[in-house]
This record gives sequence, structure tokens and C-alpha cells, in this order.
Amino acid sequence: MSWLKQLFSRRRFHDELSEEIQEHIEEKIEELVARGMTRTEAAYTARREFGNVTLSQEDSRDVWRWPSTEDFFMDIGYGLRTLGRNPGFTAVAVLTLALGIGANTAIFSLLNAVLLRTLPVNNPSQLVLFGAGKWGGIIDEVPNRGWQLFSYPFYRQVQRDNGVFSDVSAISSMSNEVHGTIGEGTDAEAINARLVSGTYFSTIGVNPILGRTFTDDDDRIPGGSPVAVASYAWWKRRFGGDPAIIGNKMSIGPTVYTVIGVTPEEFFGTTAGESPDVWIPLAMEELLPPGWKGLNDKRFQSLYIIARRKPDVRIEQAQTNVNVLFKQAVRELLGSQPTTKQLDDIQHAHIELTSAARGISRLRVQFSKPLRVLMAAVALVLLIACTNIANLLLARATNRQREIAVRMSIGAGRLRVIRQLLTESFLLAMFGTVLGIALATWTSKLLLVMVSAGPQTLPLDVAPDSRVLLFTLLLSLATPLLFGMAPAWRAARVELNSSLKQRQSPGPVHNPLAKALIVSQVALSLVLLIGAGLFLRTLVNLTNVDMGFNKNRVLLFQIEPASVGYKEDSRLARLYEQIEQRVSAVPGVHAASFSMFTFNQGSWSEDAWAQEESAEAKSNREILYNRVGTGFFSTMGLPLVAGRTFGRQDTENSQKGAVINETMARRFFPNESPLGRRFRLGGPDAKPENDKIVIGVVKDAKYMALKEQPWPAAYLAYSQDVGYLWDFEVRFSGDARSTVAAVRQAIREVDPRLPVSGAGTLAEQVDRSIVDQRLTAQLSSFFSLVAVFLACTGIYGLMSYAVVNRTREIGIRVALGARQGQVLTLIMLQGFVLAAGGVAVGIALAFIFTRFLASLLFAVRPFDPATFVCVAFLLTLIALTACYLPARRAMRVDPMVALRYE
Amino acid sequence: MKNREQRDLFPGALEMMILRTLKQQPLHGYALAQHIKRTSNDLLQIEEGSLYPALQRLLKDQLVKAEWGISSTNRRVRIYRLTPAGAKHLAHEVSRFEKMLEGITRVLAPGES
Repeated sequence: MSWLKQLFSRRRFHDELSEEIQEHIEEKIEELVARGMTRTEAAYTARREFGNVTLSQEDSRDVWRWPSTEDFFMDIGYGLRTLGRNPGFTAVAVLTLALGIGANTAIFSLLNAVLLRTLPVNNPSQLVLFGAGKWGGIIDEVPNRGWQLFSYPFYRQVQRDNGVFSDVSAISSMSNEVHGTIGEGTDAEAINARLVSGTYFSTIGVNPILGRTFTDDDDRIPGGSPVAVASYAWWKRRFGGDPAIIGNKMSIGPTVYTVIGVTPEEFFGTTAGESPDVWIPLAMEELLPPGWKGLNDKRFQSLYIIARRKPDVRIEQAQTNVNVLFKQAVRELLGSQPTTKQLDDIQHAHIELTSAARGISRLRVQFSKPLRVLMAAVALVLLIACTNIANLLLARATNRQREIAVRMSIGAGRLRVIRQLLTESFLLAMFGTVLGIALATWTSKLLLVMVSAGPQTLPLDVAPDSRVLLFTLLLSLATPLLFGMAPAWRAARVELNSSLKQRQSPGPVHNPLAKALIVSQVALSLVLLIGAGLFLRTLVNLTNVDMGFNKNRVLLFQIEPASVGYKEDSRLARLYEQIEQRVSAVPGVHAASFSMFTFNQGSWSEDAWAQEESAEAKSNREILYNRVGTGFFSTMGLPLVAGRTFGRQDTENSQKGAVINETMARRFFPNESPLGRRFRLGGPDAKPENDKIVIGVVKDAKYMALKEQPWPAAYLAYSQDVGYLWDFEVRFSGDARSTVAAVRQAIREVDPRLPVSGAGTLAEQVDRSIVDQRLTAQLSSFFSLVAVFLACTGIYGLMSYAVVNRTREIGIRVALGARQGQVLTLIMLQGFVLAAGGVAVGIALAFIFTRFLASLLFAVRPFDPATFVCVAFLLTLIALTACYLPARRAMRVDPMVALRYE
Repeated sequence: MKNREQRDLFPGALEMMILRTLKQQPLHGYALAQHIKRTSNDLLQIEEGSLYPALQRLLKDQLVKAEWGISSTNRRVRIYRLTPAGAKHLAHEVSRFEKMLEGITRVLAPGES
């Protein structure tokens, strides 16, 4: 390894070589002197015959060099010095890149966490989900299409009869937000519980870090195994990570549970964006508030099923097997004498197996498209940042032409020069990347808060993992090629003679590449601006939607009587009434009411049937229904159109009444007043005791989403048909905080044990329902502004350069009598041509791309002319402003100074 | 790129001459240069400086080795000597060169076509 030794003993080698050569020359001189030359003559001759000493030394050294590596380090050293000499340029370039790379990394981190990351379990690719996992809740229809929720008996059937899975598990599609007391404690605290089958952890492949997880035996006897597995986060938060948690008691409702295990830190459960505190076996379903009774009910379809494929079974095979079982189960639901229509319907029932490697995610459904769009937006920003830096580099290359020409004239090859310039680009990218990653770790947390929209941040891990870092690494390698290649290529194509002679080169102004870069910058920013404009209009349209109710000055509470032992009976109804009365008496409270839902909390739907129903109702009988208190309509500000709302006369024993909305009135009672008419909840096949009499009609409202089409809806009185109600809403005036305290106090006076949570407002709830649209609008606006800013600095830079280069020309024009206005026009025109070109190209691009946004827009078309025109006008104006500053400088050119300057 | 070899020598010629000279006796740089010049009757114009890169190449390929010593004129010099690998390389190069020379001579010889 002699060359290696050489590499590390460079100086000694150099000294020895010099000495050797020195001795050589002296020996020669001495010999020549001995032959009779004068010393001066001899020295001269010796040197001449030896040749170039330095060259000889360099060549000797070169023999030992490891050329590419050493050149590389030399390039880096040189590059660092060059960048250090131009701190302004370096700072601008690095910051621009950091912004671009940081934005990309941040959005990608979020995209990774929401869309890409797999569950932290063994072989996640073997896991399959039955259906797409987009539904949640309970559905009691007979399956008649692609199905996503399943009953407990069906889960057991699959587990027993399938031939394709090594393990099958079921997970409740709803979380049980319960309250319980822990250990010796007496205060009820909120616990987020999730019902799962005993096979859940073994199927997924999660091993406990403490204690044990469930076995199938924990899920055999209904109500028989009060055990719970704790999540790592809850264990840390509630127990401070004390291993004594194992064996700890926890009472929820009527049951005392024992904690038997803790899951690993990285496991949040199988649903992205949700993290249960504890998991409880499905066998406990009836005892865990709100006490669903679904274990033996084949129509109570509320479970996700996740199974693990046997290693040699393909997903298609598994799907065939599962569907055989499913058809059989569905047929059994129909009973002995199904109608032809029913038989026809179940032909369409099927299960599509999807990969559960990434878990179940409604978040994924909600954010998949927005995140992709934002990813495209930040990619464009990075592209614009790259063009900006490319332009800076071009301008700089022009300044460096003499330097480059000198380097080439003393023997640097063209490739060598290109490599040197590219090294500088890579250095810039590297600094930009480091800064960008720092920026991204901070902003991705901010993004998470924006996505979460609630008081609590979503439990998503957005810290950069290896995939994110790889992505960023690729960016840092790709960007310098993108922005550095063309300028480097051009710079190395210098005309040696003219460059060395000329003091000032023509500059990038007459350079078509620089112009093309500016035009593409303007074009790309225009595309971004138009996208942002469309999203902003969508957001504005959404916030201006007539919701039908008044979202202002309404507080929302969640009260959970089930956890402290209330059953679904008349005692519960009396509790609700007492609370409503007591709270309504609080000063500043105008009305208060319980209800099953307010807005955007899901809904129950049922078929309805009325004798007089329209053809439209015949083809689609589905209506939404809600169970409410007497004060609901005044609390929500839902105007009554006809008849009356519920009152004290509507009791358990009186005739069952219903308040319906206008759409339902129109659809089910098309030709008459619906007041006093009957409809049957559950459809024509339901029992007559499900008949309701219409007592009033209220205005249509939005129920689940602002974007939704008008739904037919009915309101029932809980006083006539009691059940657990999740929401308690209070209309108030005055100070929110003191009202919250007073309301809590009033509830405590009714029953001090009642767990009360929430205390947000209805307005917040409405805002939360459009968090994806808001995120898209805000971020795309931000990114498009960044893009416009970058494009403007690009134009500004180029025009400033143009003015400097044309100083002489302008001087002559002014000397020949051009007025200041004419000079201004001259420069502005140049800028305007570039801007207009960019706008034209941008509009063409926008026409191609905005159509992909259609599904994210609301009440605005992808080719909305107003947005296009406004944005084009705005961008041109901004671009002209960027030109104006340099143009003004041109206007002030003093011909005397300008002409003397040369 | 530039060719830093002496123009009137083919690549490897200088190395061959160095090896051939060192085969007779170990020498230091200056003596080596003088020896080559003398033996070629000054027919070959060699810049003495070009000797050193060539020596380094040979050192790198371990065809010669060098050690510091004292010359006859009492100078501290680096004396180069042939290694066994160098001797073998020389034999190989010489036979290659002779073949090449033979070929060239035939082509240049008048009378034959």
C-alpha cells in the first residue's frame, strides 16, 4: 500500500523530492564548473538541461496521486472558498434551497406518516383488511354492495371456516369514549377504549413489552373476561411507566377490569391517527359503555376484520375463499322466504380484500388527495427555487468568465471546469438540505397541528424516518443537477480570447437560457397561484354555505351517564330533562338540549316509508334521523316552517311524533301538508309500531358535511324513545368561559358523578369539518406566494443586470434626447415581454392541470374564468413591480457618468 | 490534454532505458541521467527533469527501489536499484521492443514491397 503511505506522508515526500532534484542540479553545476564554466553560466546551463523543475516535481507527485478523490477534495476546498467569498449569493441560494427542500421534506413527512408508513409489526404485507375500511359505525342493512363492516358472528364464521388465513381478528370500527376510575381513585377520568377480538394482537403480530396480550380465550364468554391491554403512551402518561401497572384495577361502568399487558411504544393501534388508551376484548361489549348488544346479532355489523394470509396464499385466492363464506352468511340473513328483489340485491354483496399493511385509515381517505396536491405544489416550488438559483449561477458565471478563461488557458480541461462548478452547486444543495431538514422537523410538527384541527394533536409520528431521509437525500442530489448543470455547461463554453480581453461581458440578458428560466418561473408560479386561488374560493364558498342552523354561540358538551351506571330507560330520560332544565336556568343560557348528533359527528340513517311518498322516495328511502330534546331547535337555531316542535305533551305514552325537514316533506309527502301524516321508520317492511306522526317541519340543514346535498331528515324526541345521547348543546350569550363553569356546576348539582367533557363550540366543530380544505387552501396559498416571491426576485435580478449592462446604451439614448419616460418604457417593456410570456405559458399549463383538482373544489369550476383572469392580472402586476425598481434606476442614468464609465 | 512525455520518445522508452541502466549497477538520479546521455551519444534529447516522474512511476510499480546514501562526490543522494520484478519487466519490454523494431525496420526497408 505504498500509495496509501504516500497519501499520508505528503510533506516528507515533497521535501525529499525537492532535495533530490536540488542535489541533482548542484552536482551538475559543480561538474560544469569543473569543466571550466563560470558559476553563473553553469547554473544557467544546468537549469536549462534539467527543464522545468516545478513541472518535474508535480509530475512526480502526480504518479502517486489518487486523482479523482484528491481533485474532489480540492474542488470542495475551492468551492467552499468561492462560496465564502460571495456570502450574499451563498446565503440567498442556500436559503432558497432550504425553503424548497424543507417544504418538500415536511409535506413528504406528513404524506409518509398518513399514506405510506406500514404498521410496526412482523410481515405487515401479509395482513389483509375486509373491505376498504372507509366506513365506521353500525350498519344493519343486508349487504348489497361492496361491504366493509361485519358482525361478530361472521368474524367467528370466517375464523372457523376459512382455509386461507393463519389468523383472523376483528376490531370495533368505533372507539368507546368511556370514563372510569383507576385503582383506588374516585374521580372518573376519560379513557379511550377499543374493543378487539382475542386474536387481535396475535394476528397483527404485536408482542407486549410487559405482561401479556389477549388470547382467544379472553374473548369466549360474553362479559366473562374483564381484562385490558394498555397502550405505551397511556402507560407512560397515566402510570409514569411504572411496571406495577400489570394487575392494576380499573372500573368502567359496572365492571372492574384488570390490566394484563402493555404494547410497544411504536404501536398506536391499527388505525392511523387514532390511539386507544386500552384495548378490551369484544366479549365485554355489552358491559362497556354505551353497551352495544352485537355479539350474537348477525345484522349488527360494526367490526373491521383484519386477517393474516398464510405465506403461500395469494390475495385473490383468499378473496375467493372469503366471498364464498360471505355469500352464505348473507343468504342466511334473509330468512326462509326472501323476495326476488332481496335475492337480487345480495347478488351484489361482496368483499374486496385490501392490504392492511398500513393499517386502517379514514385519515388516509380524507387527506390522500390533498396531500398529493400539496406534494405537487411543493415540488413546483422547489423547481422554481432551482430555476432561480440557476439564474443566479448564470449571472455569476458571466462575472466569472475571466476567472474561468484564465483557468482554462493554464490548462484546466472543460470537464474539469464543469466539475468544479457542479461541486459548488452540490455544496449549495448540501447546505440547503441540512437547513431544510432542520426546517422540516419543525414545520412538520406545525403541519400536524394544522391537520389535527382539534384540541389534541393527532398521534402521528412525523419525525423523519429512513424513507423521508432517503427522499431528502435524493432531492439534495437531484436539485444541484437541475440548477447547476446548464449554467456550468454554459460557463465552460467560454471564448478564451474575447473573455480575457473583455472587461464586461454581454451578460445573461441576451442569453436565451436566462430568459427561458424567467418565463418558466412565471409560468409555474401562475399555475400555483391559480391552484391556490381555486382552493381559496372553495374555502370561501364552504364557509358561506347556508348550514340551516346557527353555529355561533353554542357550546358543546359530552356527558356520559353510561359510565356511572345509567341504563337506557325512563330514569335516563328524566336525568336528561333535569339537566336541560337546570342548565337552561343558568344566567346567560338561552336554551339547552341533548341530542344524538350535532354536525359532522356521523349520523344514523334508516329507510322510511309513507303512503303518499313520491317516486323519488320509492327509489331511495334512506333518511337521516336524530334523537333530540325539546329545546333542540331553539338551541341550534333551526327555524320551524310549519306545525310545532316537541313539548312536554310528547311523552312515552303519547303518540310518537316526528319533526321532519323540508326535503323529507317534499319527498315523502309531495302533494299535501305533511302535518298529521304518518311515515314508518325502517321502511315498508317494518312493524307498524315504528310509525311516526309528523308534528312539524323545520328548515333543511347540513348534517354531516358542508359539501353534502340536501338530505331528508327526521327528528325524534328522546322523551318518547330514550337512548344514550352523546351530545349536550347550550346556546348562550356573554362570556363563554364563565358559562362553561356555570353549566358544569349545574350538571354537577343534578348528579355529581356524571363525567362531563368537551366544552368546545359548535363553530369549532364546523371549522373542523373542513380541515382538509382549509389545509389545502392555506398551504397552497403560502407556497404560491413563496413561488411568486422567488419568481419576482428572479425577474428583479435579471432586470437589474440588464440595466447595468445597458448603462452605456441608455447613456447614449439619453444623450441623444431620450426622455426619462422613454427609458422607463424601454426597460419595463423588456420585463413585460418576459412576464407576459410566462403568464401565457402558465395559463396553458393551468388548463392542463387544474382539471385534476376538480374533486377537491366546491362550487367553483376548475377553469373558473374569474380566478384565471385575476391571478394572471395580479401576477403581471407583481412582475412589473419587480421590473420597476431596476427600470427606475435606468431612468436616472446620467449620460456623462455612463459614457465616462467605459 | 497535454502530453508531458518527451516528444521524441515513445511511451515507456525512458523507463526501459532507466531499467536497462540500473541493471548494470545501482545509481542515483544525476548519475543515471549522465549515463543515459553518454551511452546514447547525446542522440536522445532528454530533459533531465523528466527522469524523476519516470523514476516515481517505476517506484510505484515496484520495479526499482530507492534508498538514501552518499555518492562518490560525497552528496546525500537517493540510490535506485533494480528489483527482481524490474529485471523481469525489462526482459519482457526489451523483447517486445525488438519485435516492434523488427517490424518497423521491415516496413521501412527499401526494395521489398
